[in-house]
Amino acid sequence: MMPVAALTDRRPLLGHHPIGASTGFLVEARGDWASLADAAASLSPFTAELAALSEDELPGLLGYLAALDGSLPFHYLSVHAPSKGLRMAEAKLVDALARLPAYVDAVVVHPDVIDDPAEYRRLGARLVLENMDTRKARGRDAGELAPYFAELPEAGLCLDVAHARDVDPSMRGAQELLDRFAGRLRHLHVSSIDDAGHHVPLRAGDEEAFRPILRRCRDVPWILEAPLTP
Amino acid sequence: MDPGSAADPLSGGGSALERLAAHSADGFPHLLAARRRTEEELARLRARFAEGALAGGATARLGQDEGIGARRDVAVVLFGSWGRRELSAQSDDDWLLLVEGDGEAEAELAAVRAVLGGGTREPGLQATFGVASSAHGLVEHIGLQEDNNRNLTRRMLLMLESVPVVGDDVYRRSWLAVLDRYLAETRTDRRPPRFFLNDVMRYWRTIAVDFAGKHRADDTKWGLRNAKLRTSRKLLFAGGLVPILRCHELRSAEVRPFLCAQLALPATDRVADAFLAAGLVDAGVRCLGAYDRWTGMVGDAAVRAELAGLDRDGAMASATFVEVRRLAAELQNGLLALLFETSLAPALREYAIF
Repeated sequence: MMPVAALTDRRPLLGHHPIGASTGFLVEARGDWASLADAAASLSPFTAELAALSEDELPGLLGYLAALDGSLPFHYLSVHAPSKGLRMAEAKLVDALARLPAYVDAVVVHPDVIDDPAEYRRLGARLVLENMDTRKARGRDAGELAPYFAELPEAGLCLDVAHARDVDPSMRGAQELLDRFAGRLRHLHVSSIDDAGHHVPLRAGDEEAFRPILRRCRDVPWILEAPLTP
Repeated sequence: MDPGSAADPLSGGGSALERLAAHSADGFPHLLAARRRTEEELARLRARFAEGALAGGATARLGQDEGIGARRDVAVVLFGSWGRRELSAQSDDDWLLLVEGDGEAEAELAAVRAVLGGGTREPGLQATFGVASSAHGLVEHIGLQEDNNRNLTRRMLLMLESVPVVGDDVYRRSWLAVLDRYLAETRTDRRPPRFFLNDVMRYWRTIAVDFAGKHRADDTKWGLRNAKLRTSRKLLFAGGLVPILRCHELRSAEVRPFLCAQLALPATDRVADAFLAAGLVDAGVRCLGAYDRWTGMVGDAAVRAELAGLDRDGAMASATFVEVRRLAAELQNGLLALLFETSLAPALREYAIF
């Protein structure tokens, strides 16, 4: 062994790069995609997630992106696929998601809304599955996500650390997710969640609990699903 | 330890790449297969040169006494995917006849051309490779007018991704002469060798600027070259940058043996070793996992042909290019975490900008 001291980890968590915003918490501008993208870029021009959480938001997002002259400034751009108000057939929804421009790097899908995984294979490596919280019946831990990844071999993982703590406060479940799917990890969702399951600013207790997990994820974008401060 | 030495002093059992692969569900199958392929082909080439394969061809025509086996002042050095140990069926033979002494080397060049660079494996058209080069020039012309693009490229690739198949002693002397020139002013403990650092950084910026210059008017092969810039070239740069920055934790007397040991390894081992030393195992797995998948893609003739046919305007319509772009981003994210989220960060801030 050469006499080089081990490279040690000294950086504070929020020294991470890149951190960006989900437009999901910018509720006052909902539907105004130009304003939402601009607000996200003002927080970080490096990464963002455009959240079309309800199905009726998706056409507006598609129209906004299609009409852009050039691309957005983000180096890593995620789109959160609808998980609420779903009415259209699954195949039509996937058709719409597949029309997102090629510079969209990730399409986050909640596994509990997937009926036929084969439909989602069309999204290829852009498909990213998010681990769910306790309100959902599927996709909550490594064991429940494994069958989806088996059906969708190119899919990546979006680790929602608040959901992981909701499912297993010890965070052992989050460690297992990384142990089993580290190679699939694409980005993180970072926030705390309140008793009603809403994403809220990161609490000190959660930050401490998340720290060992976040340290394993220093190379991927972190998307804030709530403001940094209340 | 000299750069030509076979031992891997960093190994705790297997190469650093193999040790990192042990933490990955999938391992790095393409990289490890390419490494085996490269070693087999290197052994085959060395045997051809050493056992007189040339005697039945060019050297017989030239006369055995004047053949390449007869001169003690030349080395045949391979670069690029050979040096990275990432050889594929699609790789070029980027070789150089390194000449220590004076005088012409036409006979030796003809002998080497009979073995290397045939058919589609011809070295590039810029005459950076496939020719003779003075070892003296690589050492003496660092900076200023005579250190032209070609000289810079040869010197950097000699230091960062090269392997000899003939003339190991000449290669080793030349390699050490360049290193010692870089380290001549290195006398302070816990400070990376800035001359070397500046030249490695200059080389990376030169590659990037030359890419833009090359394609300002002509987009031929834009897609393949862009893909390589994002992946193989970036790993080449990181494979020099990371070991040099790690010297900020060394006493000055330790720098030379450390760099000799590190740079004797393939770039993927240097990067894997730094990830392991930093405890960034997950990031290392993702970073080199992405590079592994790129290595598999670039070894596929159909993928290369598709990428080579893409111009700037049409690239994003290609699912293959979009996938390369994604893998390249994962590679870069891992390298950035290694550089900026470990104790390398202060050294990077202190030495890599100004």
